Amino acid sequence: MSKSNQPRIPETKGVGGDPRERLEDVADPPGKIWFRDLDEAVIEADRCIQCASCVAACPSDSIGIDEAEGRPTLVRMCTGCSRCWDFCPRSGLRYERVLEFAAEERALEEPAIYAAKASDDAAAAGQDGGVVTALLAELVEAGELDGAVVARERDDDPLRGEAFLATSRTELLEAGGSIYNQTMGLGQVDDLLADADLETDDPDLALVGTPCTIQGVTALDRYDNPAADPIALTVALMCTRSFEHGRLVSRLAEFDVDPEAVDGLDVSGGTLYAYDADGGELLAEDVDAFGAAGLRGCDECTDFVGGAADVSAGSVGTADGETTIVVRTETGARAWDAAAAALEATAVERPETLEKLSAWNRRRAESILPREFDPEGEVGITYEQHLEAYDGTDREPEPLNPARVHQYEEWC
Amino acid sequence: MAIGPTNEEARSTVTETPTVVSPAWLETHCETVTVVDVRDRREYEDLGHVPDAVNVPADRFRDPSSVAAGKLPDPDAFADLLGERGIDSGDSLVAVGDENGVLAARFLLTASVYGHEGELYLLDGGLEAWREEHELTTQAPALEPTSYEAELRDDAPIVDRQAVEAAAEGDAVVVDTRTPAEYDQSHIPGAVQLGWEALLDDAGRLKPDDELEDLLTERGISRDERIVLYCNTARRLSHTYVVLRSLGYGDVRFYEGSLTDWLRANSPDWDPIQLYENVREVASNGFEALPRELGEDVFGRLHLIGLYTQRQEGYFMLRTKVPGGILTAEQARAFGEIAEEFATAPEEHGGSEQNPVHGDGFLDVTTRQGLQLHWIRIEDMPEIWDRYDEVGLTTIQASGNTLRNVVACPAAGLGDETIDVRPIAERVADRFEGDRELANLPRKLKVSVAGCHENCGRAEIQDLGFTPAIKGGRDGFAVKVGGGLSDGPRAATDLGIFVEPNQVADLSEAAAKLFIDHGSYLDTAVNRLRFIVAEYGVDAFRDELERYAPFAFEPYDEAFTTDYRGDHVGVHEQDDGTSYVGVNIPTGRIGGDEFAELAALAEEYGSGQLRLTPNQNVVLTGVPDASLEALQDEPLLSTYSPDPGPFSRGIVTCTGREFCKYGVVETKGRGYRWAKGLDEWAEETGLADALETVRVHMSGCSASCAQPQIADVGLRGEVYRDDYESTRAADVGLGGDLENDAFVDWLVGSVPIDGIPSVIERTVRAYEIDREDGESFADWTRRMPDTELRRLVAEGPEPNRPVVGTEVS
Repeated sequence: MSKSNQPRIPETKGVGGDPRERLEDVADPPGKIWFRDLDEAVIEADRCIQCASCVAACPSDSIGIDEAEGRPTLVRMCTGCSRCWDFCPRSGLRYERVLEFAAEERALEEPAIYAAKASDDAAAAGQDGGVVTALLAELVEAGELDGAVVARERDDDPLRGEAFLATSRTELLEAGGSIYNQTMGLGQVDDLLADADLETDDPDLALVGTPCTIQGVTALDRYDNPAADPIALTVALMCTRSFEHGRLVSRLAEFDVDPEAVDGLDVSGGTLYAYDADGGELLAEDVDAFGAAGLRGCDECTDFVGGAADVSAGSVGTADGETTIVVRTETGARAWDAAAAALEATAVERPETLEKLSAWNRRRAESILPREFDPEGEVGITYEQHLEAYDGTDREPEPLNPARVHQYEEWC
Repeated sequence: MAIGPTNEEARSTVTETPTVVSPAWLETHCETVTVVDVRDRREYEDLGHVPDAVNVPADRFRDPSSVAAGKLPDPDAFADLLGERGIDSGDSLVAVGDENGVLAARFLLTASVYGHEGELYLLDGGLEAWREEHELTTQAPALEPTSYEAELRDDAPIVDRQAVEAAAEGDAVVVDTRTPAEYDQSHIPGAVQLGWEALLDDAGRLKPDDELEDLLTERGISRDERIVLYCNTARRLSHTYVVLRSLGYGDVRFYEGSLTDWLRANSPDWDPIQLYENVREVASNGFEALPRELGEDVFGRLHLIGLYTQRQEGYFMLRTKVPGGILTAEQARAFGEIAEEFATAPEEHGGSEQNPVHGDGFLDVTTRQGLQLHWIRIEDMPEIWDRYDEVGLTTIQASGNTLRNVVACPAAGLGDETIDVRPIAERVADRFEGDRELANLPRKLKVSVAGCHENCGRAEIQDLGFTPAIKGGRDGFAVKVGGGLSDGPRAATDLGIFVEPNQVADLSEAAAKLFIDHGSYLDTAVNRLRFIVAEYGVDAFRDELERYAPFAFEPYDEAFTTDYRGDHVGVHEQDDGTSYVGVNIPTGRIGGDEFAELAALAEEYGSGQLRLTPNQNVVLTGVPDASLEALQDEPLLSTYSPDPGPFSRGIVTCTGREFCKYGVVETKGRGYRWAKGLDEWAEETGLADALETVRVHMSGCSASCAQPQIADVGLRGEVYRDDYESTRAADVGLGGDLENDAFVDWLVGSVPIDGIPSVIERTVRAYEIDREDGESFADWTRRMPDTELRRLVAEGPEPNRPVVGTEVS
C-alpha cells in the first residue's frame, strides 16, 4: 500500500524484536509513541530509574510493575496515547525544564535551609536527624495529611524496600530509615489508597521519593493529571543514584557482608556504611565501589537536591545526627511551620558541601547525558529528537522485551 | 510447518545427555570446559563472573519476535552468537546463571537441539554456589571467534501439539512444570504436576538423588515411560529436562508452545455455555459477588458471553451477536425495548440526561453489524437473556478469543449478487457457537462473507474474508486471509483458492485450528492470524491451511469483486421489484424506543426485516413502491434519514471514553456534533450538493474499533502537550480507500481535538477546489504530495494558550 510517487513518512520505528515492524501497510505519524517505544529507549536500554512516572501517567492503567524486575511492564492493551513517554524523565520529559518551571511557578523567592533534627522518638527511627519521619508524623497527627507514601523494608527480603502508605505516627516510625532501592510508590498510589481504606475519598498525601520521582509527579500535577490529585506535599530525598536491590545485595556479599545481618545502610561523604542491628559498623567502603549496583539511568540526572519538591532532605552539609532541609515552596513552608513543634531547626546558609556535591553531580551528569542539557528547551522531547541524540551511543534504544510488551491478557 | 519433528521422527534415539555438576567438579575441570554465563551483560561485566567464562545473555538466545517457532532462536543467529564467543561445537560447556538455573538450563537445551557436539553441563546452584568458595573476576576472557554451525537436530526431543494430545490420551506421562497454583487453575487432562522448584533445596541446590527419585516415583514418572514436559514459555521445562536427563531418564521430550488456549478449552471456567449458566445463577447477588463466586478473573472471561465492564464501576457494556447483521422486526423490537428498559443510567451518572444527545436507554450499532448496550446491571441479565431466548438472540461468544460476529453484505439476498450469503454467515456462526475449543482461540478471529461484487464484507480487514468467485461454472468464493487494522495493520492477501458455499464453515474452522496450533504462544499482543501469514508468506500459509481443511484446494477461475461500496444509505431497488431503504444513524447510536419504532416501520411498510450495516446504519428491506413515500414521510426518518448530509452519512465512531476504559477521547457525542456542524457548513458553503459522503471515522484510542484506516478522514484519540497546555487530541490520517487497497496515511499526530472540524473543513475545501472530474477524495489524497496534505492538516490558527492544565488527561 505504499505510494511510490511520494516521499515516505519516516520509516517504522522500533529496533527489532516486534513482528509489527514487518507489517508496513500503515506508518504511524511522526511522534507516535507506544509503550514499546519507551521500553526500547528507556527500559531495555538499561536507563530506567524506576520512578514510576509512566505507571502513574497511563490513563488506561495499562502499565503495571513487574514484581521480579521492579520495572514497568504492560498489564493490558496499550492505547498509543504517549503519556508514558511524555512524563518519563529519561525520555519525553525534559526534567531540567520541569525544574525551571517549578522554580518560576512554585518556588519561594529564596528557599529556606535548615539544619534540623526531630525532637522526639522520630530521631532514632529515621535517617540522620529523623526529620522527614517527624515532619510527616506531625502533619498526619494534626490532620493536615491523611497519610504519606514512603518506603519501608520488606519482611521477606532483607534491605529491599517496598512502597507503603503510612497513615499514623506509629506506621511512620516503623517505616523510618532510608531504603536505597526504588519502590515505585508513585505508580501505586491508587492501589495503596484502595488498601488503606481511608475515611475520605479526597485524600491529601505526602509523597516521599527520589528527585526523579518528584520531577515526575510535579510535571503530572502541573498538567492537572489526576494521578497527582492525592499528592498534597512532595518530599525529595537528596540522591546521587539509586541501587538495584539484587545487585546491591550481591555487591555486599562480595565484601563478605551478610545482607541478613545488615540493619541499615547510609551513604555519607562518599562512603557507604552498613550497620547491624546494634549499630555496629559492618562495612565502610567508597560508594564508587558500588557503582555497578546502581541504576545506570541515574547517571543522567543533575538533580541531586530534588529541585521540584516542596521540601528536600539529605545528610550533606550538616553534622551527624542532623538533617539538611530545603523548604522550597509555599506548600513546603506551611507544612514546615505546622510541624514546628516536632522539630529542632536552625536556619543555615546553603552549606558549601551541599553546593559542591550538587555541582559535581551536575557536571558528571551533563558529561554523560547524550542529549543537550537545556533548562530553556521545550519540556517535551519527541521520539525523533531522542533518537538523534542517543543513537550511536551506549544508551541507544535496544530491541523491546516481549515479556514486557507483548504478554498481557486484557484488551478492549 | 509443524514446530517439531513428527511423532515418528521424535521416537528415534536421543543421544546427548546434559549433566548437573557441582562447583567442586567445575573447579577440577575448569581447564577442559568452557563456562557459559547466561546473565545480563551488565551483571556479567560489572558484578563479575567465573574466570574465563564467556557471556551469552539469555535474551540473545530466546527469540523475542518469532510468531510461529516456539521460543527457539533462529539457528543462524544462535550460531553467530556462539561463534562470536569463541565456542566450538565440540567444546564441553558448563552453563551458569542465577541460582535457580532455569535460563542456564534453557541454554543447554537450545545448544542440544541445535546439535552441539560437546558435553553439556549445568552448574548446580548457579553462580551463588560457585561464589561460596571461589572468587569472581571482572576480567574479560580473550575470545577467538569460531565458525559455529547450528542446525535443528533431526532427533531433537521437541514435540508438536498433536504429540502432546496423544500423550494426554495415555501414550506418555505428561508433566506440568508450572507451579501447583497454576496447575490447580487448569492443566492438561491427565498431566502430573512437578514444578522445577520442587527439585531444589532451600539453597537452590538440587536435592539428593533419593529425594528426587521419590518425588518422581510419587508422580508415576519412571525411566521406562515416555515423558512429555510443558510449561508456559518453555523456560521452566528446560530445567526439569536437564535434571531428568541427568538422572538418566532416557525418553524426555518437551512442547515449546503455550497451551493456554487448550487449558482453557478444558476448563469449565472458560466454557461459554457453562459460564453463561453460572452467571445466570449468581446474577441476582450483584456485581460485587461475581469475582467472589466465579473467581477473580471472571471479568476477563465474561467477554465470552458479551459482557464488558465499562468505565463506570459496577456496570457493563453488553455486546449482542447478530450474524450478518440480520434482524427480524420482532428481534429489533425486543432489543429496542430492552435498551429502553435496562440500558438506563443511574441518577449519579446523569440518569435520563446522561448523554447530551441521547439521554439514556440507547443502543449502538457496531462496525461488525452487532449491537451494544451500556449501563447494564448484572442483576438484569437473566431477564434480558430470557427475552433474548424468546426472539432468538444470543450473547454467547459475542466477544472473547473466538469467532467474532460474522460480517455479511447488508443487501444479501436482495439481488445483484452471485450468492445469497445469509445462510452461510449463519452456518459459520453456528460452527463456533458453544464449541469449547473454538471458543478459546489464541486470539479473536474475524470472518466476513460477501456474495455481492462490491466488497461489502470488507475482506481486506478480516482475518478471513470470503468474496464471490467462479470455478468451472460453479459459484463460490475466493478467500483473503490475514487482514486487520489495529496495532500493526495489514491488508488481507488473496489465497487464490476456490471455496464452495458449503465449504465456508469448514475453511473457517480449519483456519481456527491452524491458528490454535501455530498462534498458540504467550506474546498475546501480536497474536493475530495476520502475524502468522506475514511470517510464513502466503504460499506456505496456504499449504499449511490445506492440511487442516477437509478438502483439497484448487484455484478459482475468476473473482468477481469489481467495486467497493461505501454504504447502503438511501433507496435502492431489489430484484423482486420492491426497494430497500438505508437509513442513516450518525455514529450508530439510536434510542431504544426509536429502534423499536424502526422495527414497527419495517413491519408496516416493508418485509419486516432489518439489516445492520458496517457503517453503523440500518437497512429496511422489501418496501413496495407504493409505500416508499409514506415511509419516507415518517417523522422518525427525518431524524434517521435515508438522505442525510454528507458528514452525518459518513461518520463512524467507536464507543469512546464515555464508557470505554481505554478511550482517550469521547467519540459518540463529539462525532454527532461535528457531523451536524459540518453538514451545516457544507450547506452554507454550497458543498453539500457536490459531496455525497465524507467518511470520517473516529476511534477513541489507537485501537481500531471505528476502523479509521479505511476512512476518508481517519482519526484516533491521542493527547497533545506543549510547555503550557495539555489537551485531548487526535492523530489525523487521510485517504483510506478499500477500493484501491489503501489504508490512510497517518499524516499528523496529536492535533488538539477542538481544531479537528476546521482541519476537516480545510481539507475538504481544498479537495473541492482542486479535484479533477470524477476524482474521489481518496484519489485526490493519493495525487497530492504528503507534504502538502500535512501542511493542510497542521496549518491552522495558533491554539489559544490557556492557563496550564485546563483539561485533564
